[in-house]
Amino acid sequence: MSLKSKLQRMKGHLVKETDKTASLSTETEPPAQEKEPEIPYADRWEKLQASPYIWEDEHVMIREVRYPVGQKHGAYAFSELHGVISAWEASGKAHPLSAAGRRPEDLLFFDTETTGLSGGAGNTVFLLGYSRIEGEEVVVRQHFLPAPHAEVTLYQSFLEQAEKSSHLVTFNGKSFDWPQVRTRHTLIRDQVPALPSFGHLDLLHGARRLWKAELESCRLGIIEQEKLEVFREDDLPGFLAPVRYFDFLHSQDPDVIEGVLCHNETDVLSLITLYIHMTRLLLHHEREAVSHEERFEIARWYEALGDQAAAMDGYRLVAGSNHSWSNRAKLAIGHLYKKQKNYQQALEVWESCMKSSSYVPEEVYIEAAKVCEHQFREWDKALHYTRQAYEQWKKRGSLMRNRSKADALAYQKRIERLEAKGRGIQAEEDGLISGLFDWTEDKQSE
Amino acid sequence: MNRKKDMSAVLDYLKTDERFRDNIAHWKVIPPREAKSVPFPFEMDSRIQDALVRRGITSLYTHQETSFRHVREGKHIVAVTPTASGKSMCYHLPILQTLSEDTQARALYLFPTKALAQDQKSELHELISEMGLSIKSETYDGDTPANIRQMVRKAGNIVITNPDMLHSAILPHHTKWVSFFEHLKYVVIDELHTYRGVFGSHVANVIRRLKRICAFYGSHPQFICTSATIANPKELAELLTEEQVELVDNNGAPAGTKHFVFYNPPVVNRQLNIRRSATLEARDITEQFLTNGIQTILFARSRVRVEILLTYLQELIKRKLGPKTIQGYRGGYLPSQRREIERGLRNGEIMGVVSTNALELGVDIGQLQACVITGYPGSVASTWQQAGRAGRRQGESVVVMVGSSTPLDQYVIAHPEYFFDRSPETARINPDNLIILVDHLKCAAYELPFREGDRFGCAEIVEILEFLTEEQVLHFSKGKWFWMNDSFPAHNISLRSASQENVVIIDISERGNERVIGEMDRFSSMTLLHDEAIYLHQGTQFQVEKLDYEEKKAYVREVQVDYYTDANLAVQLKVLEQDQYRSHAQSAFAYGEVSVHAMATIFKKIKFETHENIGSGPIHLPEEELHTNAAWIGFSETLLTEIGTEDVERGLVGLAHVLQHVAPLFVMCDPMDLHVIPQRKAVHSQEPTIFLYDRYPGGIGLSEQVYKEMEMILTQAERMIVSCPCEAGCPSCVGATDDGSKELAMTLLRVAQGGSAYVS
Repeated sequence: MSLKSKLQRMKGHLVKETDKTASLSTETEPPAQEKEPEIPYADRWEKLQASPYIWEDEHVMIREVRYPVGQKHGAYAFSELHGVISAWEASGKAHPLSAAGRRPEDLLFFDTETTGLSGGAGNTVFLLGYSRIEGEEVVVRQHFLPAPHAEVTLYQSFLEQAEKSSHLVTFNGKSFDWPQVRTRHTLIRDQVPALPSFGHLDLLHGARRLWKAELESCRLGIIEQEKLEVFREDDLPGFLAPVRYFDFLHSQDPDVIEGVLCHNETDVLSLITLYIHMTRLLLHHEREAVSHEERFEIARWYEALGDQAAAMDGYRLVAGSNHSWSNRAKLAIGHLYKKQKNYQQALEVWESCMKSSSYVPEEVYIEAAKVCEHQFREWDKALHYTRQAYEQWKKRGSLMRNRSKADALAYQKRIERLEAKGRGIQAEEDGLISGLFDWTEDKQSE
Repeated sequence: MNRKKDMSAVLDYLKTDERFRDNIAHWKVIPPREAKSVPFPFEMDSRIQDALVRRGITSLYTHQETSFRHVREGKHIVAVTPTASGKSMCYHLPILQTLSEDTQARALYLFPTKALAQDQKSELHELISEMGLSIKSETYDGDTPANIRQMVRKAGNIVITNPDMLHSAILPHHTKWVSFFEHLKYVVIDELHTYRGVFGSHVANVIRRLKRICAFYGSHPQFICTSATIANPKELAELLTEEQVELVDNNGAPAGTKHFVFYNPPVVNRQLNIRRSATLEARDITEQFLTNGIQTILFARSRVRVEILLTYLQELIKRKLGPKTIQGYRGGYLPSQRREIERGLRNGEIMGVVSTNALELGVDIGQLQACVITGYPGSVASTWQQAGRAGRRQGESVVVMVGSSTPLDQYVIAHPEYFFDRSPETARINPDNLIILVDHLKCAAYELPFREGDRFGCAEIVEILEFLTEEQVLHFSKGKWFWMNDSFPAHNISLRSASQENVVIIDISERGNERVIGEMDRFSSMTLLHDEAIYLHQGTQFQVEKLDYEEKKAYVREVQVDYYTDANLAVQLKVLEQDQYRSHAQSAFAYGEVSVHAMATIFKKIKFETHENIGSGPIHLPEEELHTNAAWIGFSETLLTEIGTEDVERGLVGLAHVLQHVAPLFVMCDPMDLHVIPQRKAVHSQEPTIFLYDRYPGGIGLSEQVYKEMEMILTQAERMIVSCPCEAGCPSCVGATDDGSKELAMTLLRVAQGGSAYVS
């Protein structure tokens, strides 16, 4: 029996690779004549503003689209990038997204399209796209792999261009796109120049910090709509890119891949807009139209980076508003004071918080109790606040139906100890009762 | 109070006391063996020598020295030595020697389980620190934290892992391991004998992939394998690595006198030939050892048995020795728990351990004095592995194997020469099983494109590559096949399961805490995970609430019931192609390709103690189709008139029952992997036929082996039936107990062997 017929017979037992969501085109054009790189459908490529790049008898397609730098993409004009860079320089802040000291053309707003989602040797990067300011223009350049054997040419063409920049700006490129480029580059590393060691500004992390709670997801498409005023029309969903590419390999017809190219183009242009927007939020949140939620998250980010002054500014703006997050901001301000050993001011902020009419998180009482007990040794006051926290916890707990016994026990122990202290007896073992407070501190640092 | 007896007194007691003496079927004394050692090789690094001397080791056993020499000469080796002969030194020493000379060099250690890898890691760490070498060795498995993983990839000299991890996490990401693969000098395959059957066939392909990646990065590692005693270690190593391998079997480790006792529980029902439970007998024997302060390991067949025996023995011993001194050991225990038990055994704090075959593998628990085995472990090799747990380098040790009522056990107990004289089983793999090969070709294409003219190990692959191109998994472009699919093929392929699309078992006992507790191949799930089936997992009973066959999920809930379920599988088998054939007077043997259609029909609930049927229900599942290989025995139609249709049928069922037990013995496989079905009228020939087929799609060479050794298998089947002391048939031989069953099976057996239906 021939192996082929055996394979057909065994077909039911073989693992099926995931079903393709779109059918493959049945039109199977014979592969291009290999002698001179003759480009199939050259006219259609031209219409897409793409031209061949040839290296060692192989070709890839480079699509180039240029926009005047003053053109708006969503909420901002590309040219505002100049102002953004100066703003970073003026701020003097050492922030991971800072572009201080860079020229606009140093920044390569970069995104790829691949044949799969998992990182691994077999996941091919078939499109390397980026936007970059070049003089008075923004240039979108897309290096496209028309056949898998031409990867050497793909990376050759990309590296010639990319070298001119020093930093990548990406959206999740730090953990996906760039490692995948490195993986594929490794496979042909003897035939192409080394990858430059780019600086890397990844915007996904910051976007999550700012909008995780607010947006249904932190995908670029959602952020564009909600924050950047970029509205896509007839956009091809990203997950269809692999299937389109497989179709293209069979038909060689650039029309099949056009949707992917446009999608990627919007992505790399929106990266510029997003970077402008995030910078302005970070550096000018006091005068921008910023929501208090965003402002609070910005302050938290500064706090996490160790910039207490910037954090304090942000929290104060939120605390001074009548927004429902103002008590949260006060709690955070108190923490900052406490960190600075300014206990009196910390307590004052927390006490002012208790007087407010809106919801007061129980951590406020707990923190106040802690300062009263450990710094001011005012047992009665500490006891009072602890009881209030306990009451609040019980109320909340009965709503949540999910009270932890350990928490209740910690409260009770703390109350007992404070009562004992109130009676003038020093508790034997302070450390024993610290469980609850570790818990609240964990909450804070989350 | 009687004083504690020493070993020889306990042995005397077993020999003479009437409780035990009549049940002893065979008592073999294996004489002691002297150590054979040779001085350290001249070239061995002085730091290594010094460290060994500090451990009190001043020379090497012959097999260790031979391994060292061969490896240093650049040969691939397989070292075959018994348990506790210092076999890990066969690879540690030459590798550490090389690493002491070349700090860039890398080695990959493969162990079949994570537990073994952990074990070796600690041993290796100790060794390296005693030697004062700056060699980094680390495990790389599912438990390795992300930050350590990166360090291991970049700088680990010795990476310790398992084949599954190599398959799904290392090879598909080889670009993150560039310097590792560039400098890979050695690949250690420990416990080689475990790589057989489906698992071994998969691993052979993983090794093909590994070698392909190594070649890409310019390295050609040497393979160092170690194996327990099997009939064909060299052949297996060569099949697995596709290299020429040197066999090292000059074991130089000493051993004390070993007593090997075959113990057959007394018959309690003569007519049905039912014996007292092996579990209870094993328990009583173990008790004799433990109460006399003899460190003992008790092997039980299943995890449930382990727990039952453990509870009983702990209760019994508590007053005398304290409760901690007896421990269980099986899969499902946490690694830290296992480590603690292993330590306790080594330092003598733990007096007894009850284990499944988890301790068959080379986990270091030191050497115990006594080993009790409940039931024949199913293969000669496995039995020697378990028996190897008892045996000290000096002094006496004893192994007691307690037979159960199964045909196989009874056969082995009655034929000690079978066990002692026969060379152990042959381990088979079939790396070119089409299903398995295609699986790994996909993975390999994902890792690196194939070029025209490439082979995959020894396999010819052009046709498969073309097939995969048609299936739009690969794309052919300018002389190369590229992976062109959005999936990650290694994730869809499990090395351990027989069938590809596994059913995941989900415990829904606790709301909000649903969790996956296991998985099972689809074919088995029809009879074991159908709705209302009772599924046993780590000694806990679960009832299947729903089997979602489409989604491949079984939802189970914990229950406590006094019955188990037994499902009926209706099997239809059709011969597609007959490849080999030989005939006798009224019978013929054949081998070829078959299609099997199986459908679960009904299930019965059967009460534990009494085995009475207490209910039944239908099973609604679609038919499953299996294409595989089979060997079969066909009988001439004339028999039907000669001895009557109905009797032929009974004979076929009886003989099939015997073969189901005997055949796996000869091809060294789990009885689950080789199925036997009788047919009164086979579709292809209209003749009465018994089929023995490979349970894995495409076959892994089991039935082919059956075909080759059919004469021998039939001879053994005959001996099993003849030696069974029952009158007309019993569950220990032909299964049925009604009049004439045994005689009818014997009649067909004679015909199959080329004789006639009637005794002349």
